Amino acid sequence: MIVGTRKPLAELQEMVKPYRRLLLVGCDTCVAESASGGRRETSELAAALELAFRLAGMDKDIRETCVDRQCIHEFLLEVVEAAAEAEAILSLACGAGVQALAARLPETPVLPALNTQFIGETAERGLWLENCRGCGDCVLGLTGGICPVTRCAKGLLNGPCGGARDGLCEINLAKEFNPPVPCAWLQIYDRLNSLGQQERLLEPMAPKDWSVGDSGGPRRVLRPDQRP
Amino acid sequence: MKTMINIVVLACEQACPRPQVWEAGLREAGLNIRVVPEPCSSKVEVFQLLRLLARKADLVWVVGCPEDLCRFLEGSARLKRRLAHAQDYLAEIGLERERLGLTLLAAEDRGAQEEALTAIRDRALSLGVNPGRRQDPPGKEQE
Repeated sequence: MIVGTRKPLAELQEMVKPYRRLLLVGCDTCVAESASGGRRETSELAAALELAFRLAGMDKDIRETCVDRQCIHEFLLEVVEAAAEAEAILSLACGAGVQALAARLPETPVLPALNTQFIGETAERGLWLENCRGCGDCVLGLTGGICPVTRCAKGLLNGPCGGARDGLCEINLAKEFNPPVPCAWLQIYDRLNSLGQQERLLEPMAPKDWSVGDSGGPRRVLRPDQRP
Repeated sequence: MKTMINIVVLACEQACPRPQVWEAGLREAGLNIRVVPEPCSSKVEVFQLLRLLARKADLVWVVGCPEDLCRFLEGSARLKRRLAHAQDYLAEIGLERERLGLTLLAAEDRGAQEEALTAIRDRALSLGVNPGRRQDPPGKEQE
């Protein structure tokens, strides 16, 4: 899923200040799971903005709605209707959702309430970890299901480096992480060991095809069988 | 003209089985109070706390069971974390964190109940009207 975090309230206030009638639009899938843009968080932000603007002596008409997925146009039809009376939309979706909604509303400003962070996993309640970079050339089949591109701080394809200590990555020395960041390559070793596939580690991994990653401009997937 | 101070108490039914006692205690002090029974204090959401302050309340108080007595095991502990999150929001907004209060008590603990009523009354009177809430319509203001 896509993990997001809410922008600071002061930044949001500044962004929406010129508009009196606002519609907040949540997205009830990925960013709901990461507790940043679902129904609950949309209602929290609507109430918080109402309080903050009233304290600042500004009268705003703040409304809210939420859709299951802002990145899929079919889900946006009801928002288009609700947006007719709004001067601006504050979207609590990831960047893809914000842009899909903006494409649907060519004459209404659609502003982001979140900073989109990464593709991740809910590791524990209240803890989300980046586990995928969307590199376009997945090596998880070779590494026991643990991504070295994302979870190794150096993105090494043949690790570990010399910096690992007590099972932890050396980036823990530079900054305090809670919980600390494990060495992905030691995790890969343990995982392959438990799968009985240690011999994989004897074969150096060939260079990856980075051309299918994000360095060649916006990527697209085209499926002729799915096309209209 | 004096604006009435509105208090909303969100009360776990286990901790607060007789809400009318709370209402009577605070009305005597000239405060406008509404007690909303909750099946467990953990049902209270951050958006409800903020929305109450945005729309009508000058002070919102949550009453739950002591953590080790919570019928739903983690309810009171979850509530405490949510309340802290809502208070962080208030700090960002520029409103006093103290406009959200919390008491954890056992239903039969009369002493703790009296203490809570005193704390709510004192807090409401010291904070006064919440400048972030909607203004009462003229008919609702009191002399």
